[in-house]
Amino acid sequence: MTQHFKGTGISRRQMVKGLGAATLLPLVGGISPFAIGGQHAGKVVVVGGGFGGATAAKYLKRANPAIEVVLVEPAETFYTCPFSNLHLGGLRSMDSIAHGYDELQDRYGVRVIHATAEDIDAAAHTVKLSTGSELEYDRLVLSPGIDIRWNVLEGYDEDAAEKAPHAWKAGSQTEKLRAQLEAMEDGGTFVMVAPDNPFRCPPGPYERASLVANYLAQYKPKSKVLILDAKDNFSKQGLFMEGWERLYGDRIEWVGLSDDGRVTRVDADRLEVETEFGTVHQADVLNVIPPQKAGWIAERAGVTDDSGWVPVKPETFESQQAEDIYVIGDATVAAPMPKSGFCANAQAKVVAVAIAASLESRPAPAAHWTNTCYSLVGPEYGISVAGVYRVKDGVIAEVEGSGGVSPMDAPDTTRALEAEYAVGWYNAICQDTWGTQT
Amino acid sequence: MHSSSSSRFILLGRRLLRGLGVAITGLGLATLALPGLASEPWQRLEAAQSLLGDSEPHTQGLTLDLPHVSEDGSAVALTVSFDGELDEGDYIERVDLFANANPSPEIATFHLSPLSAKPEISTRVRLNETQEVIAIATSHQGERFATAREVRITVSGCLVRAGGEAPDALSNPRVSIASGLAAGEPAEVRTLINHPMETGLREDDDGDTLPRHIIERFSVSIEGDTVFEAELHQSISANPYLRFFLTPEQSGEAEFIWQDDSGETARHVAEIDLS
Repeated sequence: MTQHFKGTGISRRQMVKGLGAATLLPLVGGISPFAIGGQHAGKVVVVGGGFGGATAAKYLKRANPAIEVVLVEPAETFYTCPFSNLHLGGLRSMDSIAHGYDELQDRYGVRVIHATAEDIDAAAHTVKLSTGSELEYDRLVLSPGIDIRWNVLEGYDEDAAEKAPHAWKAGSQTEKLRAQLEAMEDGGTFVMVAPDNPFRCPPGPYERASLVANYLAQYKPKSKVLILDAKDNFSKQGLFMEGWERLYGDRIEWVGLSDDGRVTRVDADRLEVETEFGTVHQADVLNVIPPQKAGWIAERAGVTDDSGWVPVKPETFESQQAEDIYVIGDATVAAPMPKSGFCANAQAKVVAVAIAASLESRPAPAAHWTNTCYSLVGPEYGISVAGVYRVKDGVIAEVEGSGGVSPMDAPDTTRALEAEYAVGWYNAICQDTWGTQT
Repeated sequence: MHSSSSSRFILLGRRLLRGLGVAITGLGLATLALPGLASEPWQRLEAAQSLLGDSEPHTQGLTLDLPHVSEDGSAVALTVSFDGELDEGDYIERVDLFANANPSPEIATFHLSPLSAKPEISTRVRLNETQEVIAIATSHQGERFATAREVRITVSGCLVRAGGEAPDALSNPRVSIASGLAAGEPAEVRTLINHPMETGLREDDDGDTLPRHIIERFSVSIEGDTVFEAELHQSISANPYLRFFLTPEQSGEAEFIWQDDSGETARHVAEIDLS
């Protein structure tokens, strides 16, 4: 994305560049000069170190290195949801989707605190940490991702998730589901329960089904994948179904909402699920992707609405309900932008510029965002959807004629190229977000 | 929040207008009609107005539950429910749903009876753009209640639809009745049937308009007495889903009938067994 700064005389960008050079050395030493010419440039606390939060922290420092930026993230190693389906399918190690925070600290001078943000006092502008300490902020960025709505799906609580993993937050849940898949006898059924909209990563369940089928085809050829869906339509549906037929025959069965696909009860002990009209399905491995909501801390900050997600002002992603709190990523209501890592990264850059502007009492520049979702139907079979977004009539809207999806009936070479692009995309965005080199 | 801010605006508008009215009559001027500014959504929709006639509906008691934002306008989950005050012996007899910016605004009309008297109905509706959905409830004694809710429709960048094959009309009727029925206690009933609900507005790949083909009527009777009925229009999603409550007084045979505009019907029979 490009950033346009309106101003008189020297452009903002040139000024920032100049400042960056001047302040880089002391930053590397870890001593951050939080003031320029005796003036306080502002303090920003960023909660969450995923695609949104890590990008926001970095780009705040790039917008103005004099801003004091503190990133709060409990994990020292962050595992991405993008490409976690490849681990599940046995195509990648967990290490290859692991990222750290060294670059943010060492190169950009972000103070990284590995703790959980436990409470937020929006009026007092403070964040309470699990360590007991409290952080003050001028502006707060929340990038809390999602939390599971436990027990909304009858029988699916935190204990059930140990037996029937959701694996919708990458990490130990991903490894658990992978271990179950590896332990499954040949001839077993991998049952996936897919949620209604909105949820994190709209094409994710279908990429997962694809890569599980790919693994089964090689190692457990008598096994099947059954998707029980609470929707009648899903992301890139035609492309996925074309790919499934091409690569896996009838190994993947998808049952949509109108064919009684909506699961209403989970029995994790018996690996059994029941649908709305009473059909009971027996699984050998049960993957329940449950209903979701904004990450818990967003509720504590008072920025969620009765949908459980966070309404934001589209121009800046500032909360509609609390001043000086900006929210990005999966937690927000940003449709038609999907809940994707790419969108979180794009939103973070807009927020960084908006906050840098607001700290200097300048208006935020007009924003636009892009998104691309690559999905792997097989290791050498990629498909994608892309979009460009702008604010129109006060809401986020897809720019007409922008983006699009991969063509149907494309030759294998096209699919193979897109699979390569997917890897290129992953490497690039992880380098942008965490500085991970590949 | 979208809904609360828009309803707050309406409230402010009304208060403002009332104030204006007082000021204007105080000055001895004729009362001014300011259409659009103060009117409720149902006053701006002819179909709703013709149902209401001169009656001024209560604005408390009827609730529409819809998402603020929906990423798939082809099937938006909707629940309409009533928890307002009614006279002893009165009950909600009819519920009408409208979508003010759809090609034809009528969504459905539900007819309830004392044996389906818990007024809570869920279905899935088509909304072709961001708009207000309106519900009007009428009691047996003629009390009216109205409510409206705005729904923003987006097509998510990651939610490009496949199209897919249309289902066979009137296939796979499904009924689920809550277990543990007791006399006089409302029991949840869910129904689902496969049907394309072709609107008559859509074109096929060759550019020919597909003829209208929808389920127009759904009814439930217990031992021959009709207890719940629905008139459905094009704005009901493909594969109509209905969730409602029955309050059976005695055990017996419940018959569910779906009838489409070609005259075909599908039938499902379930035993109501009161414990």
